[in-house]
Formats: sequence, C-alpha cells, structure tokens
Amino acid sequence: MPPVTGVATEADARYPDRGPSHRPRRAREAARKSLRSLRLCGFNCRTAICTDWRLGMCHRPSLTGGAALAITGAGGSGAVTAGLILLAAVGRAGHYALMGRSAGPQIRGGESVAMLRFAPRPVECMGDRLDLLVGLDWENVGRFSDELPLDETSLILTDDQAVPVPEILARSGARVRSLPLKVLAEAQPDGRVNMIAIGAVGALLGLPLAALESGARVILADKDDRIIETSVACIRVGHASIGGSQAPPVGMPTPPARWNISGNEAAGLGALRGGVRFVAAYPITPASEMLEWLAPRLERLGGSLLQAEDELASINMLIGSSFGGVPALTATSGPGLSLMVEGIGLAVASETPVVVVDVQRGGPSTGIPTKSEQSDLNLAVYGLHGDAPHLVLAPTGIADCAFTVQWAVGLAEQLQTAAIVLSDQALGQSRAILDPPADPAVVRSDRQPPTRMIADSPGPDYQRYRPSDSGLSSMTLPGVPGGMYTADGLEHGANGVPSSRAVDHAEQLDKRLRKLTAFDYGGEWAEIRGKGDCLLLTWGSSAGPVFEAAERLSASGRPTRAIALRLIAPLQRQALLTELGSVGPILVVEQNQGAQLFCYLHAQRVLPPHARSYARPGPLPLRPAEILRALEEEA
Amino acid sequence: MSDRLSQRIESVAELLVHALELEHQSAECYRQLAQALAVHHNHAAAALFGLLADMSDARASAVMARAEGVSLPEIAPWDFKWPAAGSPQIDCDHVEISYLMTPLQALEVCLDKETLGREFYVLVASESPAAGVRVLAAEMAEERRERVELILTWIRGERGVATRVPEDLDPPNLPG
Amino acid sequence: MDAASVIPTLRAKDYKSDVVPVWCPGCGHFGVLSAVTKALAYLKLPKERVALISGIGCSARLPAYVGAYGFHGVHGRALPLAAGLKAARPDLTVLVAGGDGDGFSIGGNHFLHACRRNMDMAYIVMDNEVYGMTKGQASPTTRPDWAKSKLTPHGTGIRPFQPAAIALAAGASFIARGYSGDPGGLTRLIVEAIEHPGFGFLHVLSPCRTFRPEQSDWKHQVHRSDKGPTDDPAEAAHSIQADDGMTLGLLYARRLPVWQPDNRATATTADLEGAFVV
Repeated sequence: MPPVTGVATEADARYPDRGPSHRPRRAREAARKSLRSLRLCGFNCRTAICTDWRLGMCHRPSLTGGAALAITGAGGSGAVTAGLILLAAVGRAGHYALMGRSAGPQIRGGESVAMLRFAPRPVECMGDRLDLLVGLDWENVGRFSDELPLDETSLILTDDQAVPVPEILARSGARVRSLPLKVLAEAQPDGRVNMIAIGAVGALLGLPLAALESGARVILADKDDRIIETSVACIRVGHASIGGSQAPPVGMPTPPARWNISGNEAAGLGALRGGVRFVAAYPITPASEMLEWLAPRLERLGGSLLQAEDELASINMLIGSSFGGVPALTATSGPGLSLMVEGIGLAVASETPVVVVDVQRGGPSTGIPTKSEQSDLNLAVYGLHGDAPHLVLAPTGIADCAFTVQWAVGLAEQLQTAAIVLSDQALGQSRAILDPPADPAVVRSDRQPPTRMIADSPGPDYQRYRPSDSGLSSMTLPGVPGGMYTADGLEHGANGVPSSRAVDHAEQLDKRLRKLTAFDYGGEWAEIRGKGDCLLLTWGSSAGPVFEAAERLSASGRPTRAIALRLIAPLQRQALLTELGSVGPILVVEQNQGAQLFCYLHAQRVLPPHARSYARPGPLPLRPAEILRALEEEA
Repeated sequence: MSDRLSQRIESVAELLVHALELEHQSAECYRQLAQALAVHHNHAAAALFGLLADMSDARASAVMARAEGVSLPEIAPWDFKWPAAGSPQIDCDHVEISYLMTPLQALEVCLDKETLGREFYVLVASESPAAGVRVLAAEMAEERRERVELILTWIRGERGVATRVPEDLDPPNLPG
Repeated sequence: MDAASVIPTLRAKDYKSDVVPVWCPGCGHFGVLSAVTKALAYLKLPKERVALISGIGCSARLPAYVGAYGFHGVHGRALPLAAGLKAARPDLTVLVAGGDGDGFSIGGNHFLHACRRNMDMAYIVMDNEVYGMTKGQASPTTRPDWAKSKLTPHGTGIRPFQPAAIALAAGASFIARGYSGDPGGLTRLIVEAIEHPGFGFLHVLSPCRTFRPEQSDWKHQVHRSDKGPTDDPAEAAHSIQADDGMTLGLLYARRLPVWQPDNRATATTADLEGAFVV
C-alpha cells in the first residue's frame, strides 16, 4: 500500500480551471463521519480527507474531467446491469458518458465487466486509466485484467467478505477499500449485491439518488414491479451506506435532452432514417443487437426483417428487395462478410443498391467474437473478385454510426451500388450519453437528393444500363410497364442482355467505376479536427482516442490535427492530399496487425515517405496515452 | 399421359381453336429449332426449320381468316383434345434434335410433326359427332397431307445428295 | 374492376423476350420455357407484374427468355433473392427457375429453408441429372454409377438426392413433378404452383440432349400417378418413397401458413427516436 500524503495542491495546480468547489463545513463533517471506513479520497487529489471527491471533480483523469470506473463480476453477477443503470444515472445527472463492456465467450456465466467514463463534455473513448474499480466478486477477473488499467491512484472497491483482491490487480498499487456489500444485500428482502454497489458507487461519484433510481427504473423497466422496488431499495441502502445524501447535490444541472444509445442502435437508426425498409438477418456477435433493434421497429415503419438461413442468403435477400425498389440493409461481422462478398459483387455488377454493416470483431476466422478489432478493412476494400468498385465507409464514433449508415444508404441508393460500413464491437456494443445525432436528410441545395434514379414511364428506347456521363442510368422497378429487363451478374450490354464482348465489358466496367469516381461526396468524406502541422490519420473506432490524443497534444502546445476517414473507398485522394499539405509528422493509427489503412493509403499514393504507422491488433481498446507514446517514439 | 383420347371435338369453333393452336405452336416450335440450330452453326438444318416455320405462319393466317366472325372459345393449354399429350407439334420430343443433325434428319423431324398434325385432323374427321366439324377437319387433313407429300419429296431429293454429316471436332465430354 | 378485363389477352409467344436461348437444340428446357409462357398467358398476368429469378446454370438462363422482369443472380442463391423480393413486393408474382445443381447442391440449404418458410412463389427445378453449363459433371440427382464425367470417372458412388422427399421433410406445402416433353401437363402444374398460396415446388424432368442423350428414354418412363394428390404428409411420404421418381402430377398439397410480412406502417422514424432520450 503506497503512502498517501496530502498533496491537494498538486491536483489544483494541474487543473487551475477547476476552481474551489468545497462544500459547506457541515456536509464535510457528515461525509467524514459516515465514511470512516474509506477515509481517503478514491481519486487523485491525495488528500486524506477530501471535501470535493464525491463529485468526482477533484481529479480529472483526462482533459475532459469526469471519472472512469469499471464494475466487474462473474457473468450473471449483474455487473453489466449495474453499468447500464449507472450510465442512465449519469445521463440523468447531466453528464456525457461512454460505457463499454467486455465479456468472455460463454453464453452465460464466465466473467464480465462494464466500463464507464463520464464527463461534462462528450466522451469519445475510454481513458488511459481507471479511477475506480468495483469488484462484485473476483471470479476469473484475471482473464481481462489487462483491460483494467489501474495505477497507484486508482481505488479498488471490494466486498468485505470477498477473497482478497487478486494479485494481478493489487500489484498496480491501487488502494483497496472494502464495503459490506454482501452483508447489506442480505439484510434486504431479495437484496442484490450489484444494486447495493450501484448505490455506493453513485454516492462516491456524487450522483443524486433520484438519478440512480430513475436509471434503475429505466433499465429494469421490463422486470416486474417487485424486482424494481427491491432494487431501488438496495440502491438506497448502498447510497446511504457511505453517506450519500438523499437530497440532490447543490448545483446539479438539469438533464438536457441527450440520448442514451449504443453504436448498434445508432447504426440501426441511421438505416431507418436513410429509408431502409427491408433487413435480412443472420445472427452474429457483435452485430445481432443491431438486427434485434431493427426487427420490431421496421415492422412499425411498414418494413420487414427476414431471418435468413445464412449470410449467403441474407445478402441475396437484400438484392431481391432492392431490385423490387425497397432499400435494404444487413448487419454482420467478419465471418458473415466473408460469406457475403460474392453477393456484394452481384449487387455491384447488377447495379442493385445494398448496404452491409460489418460490426468487426477480432479475426481471422472465428477469432474473438466478443471483442473489437479493425481488421476487416482489406476484406471490405479488396474482397470482391473482378473489378468491382463499391463504397466502403466507417463511422467515427457512436453518434456517427447513425450519420454514416444513413449516408451509406443514401449513397448506395443514389449510385446504385453496394456499400460496406465498417463499424466494430467497440462502437456497436458501447453505449453513450450524447447529443442527439443530427439527421443529415437535409440536403445541401447544390446536391441531388440521396435517392435512386427511377424510370417511372420508360420509353421504347429504355435501356437499363445505358452509359452516361455520370455513369448513372435509371432503373425501372417491377410493376412498371415497358421497363422489363433481366438484371444480371453476367457481364451485359446496355440493355442488360448477357455479353462477353470486349467492348461491352469495357463500357460497363467504365460506367460502374465512373459513377463512383465522378460523384461529389461533399465534405463528409472525413471528420477533421484541430489545426497544426502534426497529423494523426485514422478511421473507425480509433477516431475517439485519436481525437483525444490530438486535443491533448494541442493543449500541451503542439498543434495537432486529426483526420478520421469516413469514406474509405473510393478514397477522396485529392481532398486528402490537400489536407495532408504540410510536411509535419504523420501517424496513421488503427487497430489491426497489418496496418491495413496505412498500406491502402500507400497503395493509393497518398502518404509521403515519412508517414509512420501505429497499428496494433485488438482486443484491447486504443487509449490516448499510447497514441501519444507512439508519436513520441516516432519523433 | 393424356387420358382424353375419347374426347371429341364437337363444334367448328372448337376445331378452329385447335387448328390455330396447332399452327401457332408449330410455327413457334420450328422457329425455335431454327434459332437454336443457327446458334450452333448448323445453318442447313436451321434454314429448313425456318422455312417450315414460315409455312406454319402462313397456315395460321389462313386459319385466322377462316375464323373471322366466329366466336372462339378459350381453352386452357391442358384442355386441348390432342390425341397425344401436348399439341402434336410442340410435343415434338426435342431429344431427337441434335446440333449435329443433317438436313435429312431435320426433314424427318418435320415429317414426323406434320404427320402427327395430319393424324389429328383425320381423327377429328372420323370421330366428331358434328358433320360440319368432320367436313372442315377432312379439308384440313387434306391440306396437311399435301404438306406431308411435299416434305416426302424433299426427303427423296435429299437422299440422293451426298451430304457430309456435321461434326463436332471438340465434342462434349472429351476424354483425357 | 377486374384488372384482367382491361388487359388485352396475350398469347404465350408474347411472354417471350427477343433474346435467343443458348440452349442446345433438343434441350428439355425449351419445353419448360414454352410451358412457363403458356401458364403466364393462361393466368393473364401482366408481364410487368411477374418476376423470374434464377441462379446459374443452363436452366437459370430462363428469365432472360421471358419478357417479364428478371434477375439472373449468382449460383445457388435464386431462392433467397426471390424471398427478399417477395417480402418487399408482395404484389408481384414471383417465379424461381433453376437446375438440379443450382437448387439441390450449392443452393441446397436455401431449398430446405424456402420449403419451411413457405413464401408465396413457384420454384421450378429443371432436373437433368447433370451440370450442363460446366460441361457434364455429375449433379446431386445423378445415379451413383454414371461414370461419364471426367470429374467422377468411377461414378459418384453416392445415392442421388431425392427432391420430392426432401421438400416434404423440409415442410413444403406443394410438391409436383412434371416432364418437359408434356407441355400441357407441365403448364397446368406451373399454373397450380403459381396459384398455390405458398411455396410451390415443381420438380421438372428435363432431359439434357448433349450430356445425357440416354434421357430420351424418359418419354417412355414417365407416367401419371394412379392416385391423386394428398394433403396428408404421412401418406405423401409413403407414396413419394415408394415412387420410381418418374410419376408426374401434383403429389402433395396442403394449406400451411404463408410467411409474408405485413407492410403497413404505424409509426415514423421520429416516433422511434423518443425512446433514446435520457
């Protein structure tokens, strides 16, 4: 146990903007009294008794302030439910937040952890360290101890009857405090340890009891009343156990109209906003929740979801629906995408719009289904046989899942082609409290609406695949007289009739390429933040830690830009070259072994020779500090 | 497969529908064979089938002209009273057709089809309970007989010609 | 108003496109094409309201030869493509055409689940017991001792796939067998398969002139069932198992629930978004 010395001024000096937020003396005394067992501030101010710590404001683990905590327990211990309730509660209390989860491969049981970071400003990645780790029990925690970055300033909260904190965690030097979680739970009728813990943690974090209770009522809404009331009672007991006040703390902001949404839900919403009304689904981790979220909602919107027998079927079902004029999408993960690539090629060749969201997981093969990685870029970009130009996009965050999927649907429809959207487990299965994602349906005045070019009354000279300057040709839909044609995966002439002639092949290849390359994608091809010579270039879920790293660098006096590519293919090469401009350091950051984006950008002749790659495989999330270290190593 | 051998054609309108169907199907069948053989570069056989298709079209027009003013019943494809399954023409067993057939073999296929057609009319001419039907059927049988004779003439001519049997030097299922 | 009454009657020929078939002269598939067009003409279906879906193979070329909407997709995947289309567009008449390799080998899984799913469409499989387009390999329905393929020089040694029995076991609601040399009977079965509410599986014996010339004997082997169709799966199982595989006609038909989503909207996207508010 490291010595704890009173160095309150250290934290104050580091965060001069914080200002004093000391509570009245009486409250301070009450806290001191009720928390005799804790005695020490769990956060980083290193005072013996901190008057400020309940709000979690005495130490800011990152630029953004707030706190980062994890709740762990054996699968079934309720750690994830506790995380969800705390997430809802911090949202109610006016914070932004991000909650990730990690679980073993077991269907039930095993181990699980919920990780929550919250702050007064949007949270886009997990922090570098945990302020608080709550162990409901310590079963199998060793299996993901490497996902729990503790240090000597972290606090571990454990049950006083539990086995000692495992050495693998204790050796971080984190302080350990115990609470009678189990005893308190047993004293309640049907009491549960995780609910006691929620109350205790909520009190530690300074969350109002009302926010915790309402969080519980939202998350447990589908349980029966008795369970809800029992849970709420436990939360109250836990809250009181360490002196949480029944009254809301002074100055707690009124909750603004924020959303509590996961990346998979946001992607589903983007699909619906984009007009998708048919989804074919084959279950796969970690994409299933997106499909499950869509199923009942599509029904309400007059669309449908068809559970397919396999991914070979689902991609072809999309093509069928889209051929009929109903925009179609599916979600899958790497193994499913592998099975779909032939069908995606058919969509490209027959110019039938479809969208596939790949919620990536660790690969290759079955890989690590429950954990994240960005290793399907090569498959998405290069997987199709033949010359098959198509769209590859990647959301840059949870909220952006809604935007990017909606944009992908619009682009696929407009360009009559296939779009692959590369989300991943870290985005898909994380939840966030965030500002509602904007609906980009409002179209810029100089742009075409993102809809398909349909021929409603085709003339006698109608040809489905007639070449044009834009590469686009109008499509007729079944039911329209005079527009009959047979869509084909065979190469064809302008009228759709199969042809193996070189002239037809050249003409149709050119048409299918030109419609993608001649199109004006506007400014959405990337999310660009900050200014400066130093450049961090990234894609997908790595954007969160990259944005934070760039912000920290800029704040520390080294102006840094971050570019997260949203449109990966076709690469907006000229725009990117213009953005690269200067000759400062360039680091390409991504979560895979093979530096897939880095290699792709080189293949596209975009990167200068001095550009460097920071690529490492999952499943551990990229954290801002390691990106900063990687940049320093390069320098 | 047809169990309608005993079914009789009882009105002129009904006979006209059958005759029309017979000629239309026959034209379509010949034209299809002509196209298929042309695709397979057997132009001699294709030309013959093309000729027969044109002749059937002409016959169909003649039947149409005769049917003018007559209210024709609608008959489901499987309710025609053919002496064999399907129409005598379309029921041409396609397995006798080969892309390597000689003009003589093509003519023999045509002879078969035309003979079947004639037999249909002969049957109606003898079995219909209506005198008007019998007369018309006999007339049509006679026309068909003329066509059968014509084909027989061609066949005799063709037999006298030394025709090289078409070959496929890259046959399917080439061993090795 | 009855839609049919305002549509000028089309003859079977009018349902053909102007694309010339690539099939070998003498191919059984010509008879199937003819029967399909006759069935459409008989049903007076407007051409633009019909969609023919296929995968890959000689038989899968059929959609291009019919003047309706068509989709010639990838090998083995015609049934799911058709399912997606029918789910999205229940107003269309959907026909699926393919061969024994396409439907029973590479697409075998889709066949099982299409039978179970029982969506309202007709599935016409032209079975010639050979892969014709790839030049004569054994298919799932080929007899085990057929040794004329270079790929299986001693024959496959594997008992043939039993389409009707498997369809029944997979929960199909309509099972029929036709013969391409019997266009009248085949037309009637196609009409019945289209009119059947649900998945109408029609197994068509369609000889391959080029790779299986011995199939010309089929015309002497096919025969009509001595009993009519049944709606009892146990009875159907018995008669299908006892059959020589050459019995023509409707073998089994039963009213079973048809999978078709209700495409009526009761909400807007904005209505759904409220649930996300903290």
